[in-house]
Amino acid sequence: MNKKGILVGIVILLVIISVITVYSSSSVETENLDVMPPGMISTAMGSSVLGNPSAQITIVEFGDYQCHQCYNWFHDTKSTVFQNYVDTGKVNFVFMDLAFLGLDSPKAAQASYCAEDQGKYWEYHNQLYTAQESQIDNGWANSERLKAFAFSLGLDMELFDSCFDSGKYTKRVQYNIAEAKKLGANGTPTFFIVGPDGQQQKLVGAQPYSVFKQVLDSMI
Amino acid sequence: MVQTLNLVFSNHFYIVLSVVIFTFMLIGLLILSEYVFLDPYIIGHISQGTEFGFVLIVILSILSALVIPMNIYRINILKKSKGKMSGSVFSSFIGSIAGACSCGPIGFVVVSTFGSVGATTLAFLTSFELPIRIGAIALLAFTYYATVKSLKIECEVR
Repeated sequence: MNKKGILVGIVILLVIISVITVYSSSSVETENLDVMPPGMISTAMGSSVLGNPSAQITIVEFGDYQCHQCYNWFHDTKSTVFQNYVDTGKVNFVFMDLAFLGLDSPKAAQASYCAEDQGKYWEYHNQLYTAQESQIDNGWANSERLKAFAFSLGLDMELFDSCFDSGKYTKRVQYNIAEAKKLGANGTPTFFIVGPDGQQQKLVGAQPYSVFKQVLDSMI
Repeated sequence: MVQTLNLVFSNHFYIVLSVVIFTFMLIGLLILSEYVFLDPYIIGHISQGTEFGFVLIVILSILSALVIPMNIYRINILKKSKGKMSGSVFSSFIGSIAGACSCGPIGFVVVSTFGSVGATTLAFLTSFELPIRIGAIALLAFTYYATVKSLKIECEVR
């Protein structure tokens, strides 16, 4: 490799970084859904609605139980958003699965719906985000652990095992993933904040509370 | 060491190159690693527990901005081999891609395009983000040390 080759290598490195950077930002900018008509997000296959069902604003989160950024949002920001908007009845919240990070991700999502069958979806959801480990598919969310989480929540294990082992909610999770793709959500967490007049704001990543506050206040 | 740095960065070209590399790497990695968000508002945010990752990105960017221009200088001025150059570029690249994929759009594209192979690679890069970045920094630090040493000797000989 000559001198020219080295310089070309440097340029290629910089170009790769710029392309990645531009891709990352443009994918956000080009998919601003402010103009999307109301009712475009089908949350029927997602979680139950958390908070005031008749709230004018809905936050829809697309997440993966193995995603560390979802973990960060869950532990850093979610409680403040809930305290100020969901618990006060101004906003409600729906979680949908974009389970793509590892082999255990769809299984964890399916397990959450098996817990929902016994009325403990949100407890199970919280349990998964509390127990998440930094390594993907390292066994923290394998079938045995998912069953152990259910056991620790006091679920009927016969019912849970039957639901989980039969793959009852495989298609439900697949539907949610397809819905995420349809909406242009290509990373986790991705939030769609749907306002009273149907306007939607997409937030990509574990954005801080201040961003949610600005967006939500502008819609209230 | 200071003499060597003065020698290389007395030429404005290398200062500009260094600033460009530092800026591109720092901003690019901060965006990819979700320390900086561009939409709907430009905002920086360091989540609890991710401070160490942030520091590693800054160190990686600084070292890359020092080592790469020094090696280009070494090749340009002293017509030396490119061994160290390749090492520094490789370290910067590996350090950059570690964890940059993670849960974001890049990771999603990797999994969608390459299927299970992509998912395995993504899982590895995400899971071992910090050790890979530390390894890349160690390699860059070693390259920096070796470059400074060889520049000192080579320049004294000349």
